[in-house]
Amino acid sequence: MNMPYLGESTDSILGKEFLTWLWYQSDTAPGAFTDKDGAPFAVSMEQRIVVEGGEGDARETASVSGSLSPLREARFGLGNGKQVSRALLRLEKEELAFQVSLKAEDFCLNSLKTPKLDKGDSDDDPDALLLEKFYLMEVCTGLLDALYARFLKLRLSSGWQKEVDDMRQWMTRTE
Amino acid sequence: MGFANSSCSFTRFRILDPVPATLWPQILDKLKQFAMRDIDDIPEMQGQGWTCFEDMLDTDWVTAPPQKGAYIVFSLRLDMRRIPAGVVKKHVALALKEEKKRMGEQGKNYIARERKKELKEQVLLRLRSRFLPVPGEFNVLWATDKNEVWFASTQNKMIDLFLEEFLKTFELHLEQLTPYNLAVSMLDEESLIRLDKLEPTQFAPLS
Repeated sequence: MNMPYLGESTDSILGKEFLTWLWYQSDTAPGAFTDKDGAPFAVSMEQRIVVEGGEGDARETASVSGSLSPLREARFGLGNGKQVSRALLRLEKEELAFQVSLKAEDFCLNSLKTPKLDKGDSDDDPDALLLEKFYLMEVCTGLLDALYARFLKLRLSSGWQKEVDDMRQWMTRTE
Repeated sequence: MGFANSSCSFTRFRILDPVPATLWPQILDKLKQFAMRDIDDIPEMQGQGWTCFEDMLDTDWVTAPPQKGAYIVFSLRLDMRRIPAGVVKKHVALALKEEKKRMGEQGKNYIARERKKELKEQVLLRLRSRFLPVPGEFNVLWATDKNEVWFASTQNKMIDLFLEEFLKTFELHLEQLTPYNLAVSMLDEESLIRLDKLEPTQFAPLS
């Protein structure tokens, strides 16, 4: 599995740039996201973030956590050329709240928490609870896909450079 | 942790090959064909296969069928014997001692390399029958309407094993939805050309 494969470096570039961009977007306009049907949802990156920079032996990572902290140390890391390699995301759509830790290089979903299921619904059909859970998990991956689609659209357009300029301002903001 | 737990970790895949319509009625038979066979009573180090989602001891799907609405759910079970290195070392030393004693009685004192290897293999085989395999269970969810499959592990070793077993059972290739592959599944041809020429962005302010 340590063999390089087609698209490996692109995986790393896309994954890290996506999470870095998402941090900026969620910090500056947390409620301004829409799913594929146009319904609004909110994203926040909180509690835990890992930034990484450098190549080979010089690679270094900084993991910053804090429940209500603005994760300033990690943001300074971005200013020094690091990018987000792992982040804990909180997604909220209407009354549904999800939490998931996303890894930049492979998009594996770790510790996905969906809203609690209402056990009262399970009387009639033994599969009802399970199907409800699958539905909620799909809502969450759908929101993640909507975020990623928006990132890709911007990333592959001429508007990306302007976005990067704005991100630089945000990275070095001191408050 | 599985999909029914309050917190779960998983990896997403998409099916690359077209799924033949004839496969759907055969799902259960194929799962049974490659179901988990217990290795408790045979000296194998590792055994793996599919089991029922609701009960990892059920390989006949008596508890519940794998089909649930638009989903097919089951589990990959992996049983592994783990013999601590210290135990192996001790029993190999004992076997060598025994062998030396036997050879001494015949007036010899040198154990050939090949014989040492053979003794170690015998020890391992004996120990295997004394250590019970540790079972592991990993849920699989196949969203048939989305052509997507989720596997409840994020470890590379488990992912490789899952891909192999899935291919063997259903003759379908899976592709992990990594950032690049997920992008490929979302983009049109024109964007794909731009994606393949992607250069990394320098985010840090230029000094």
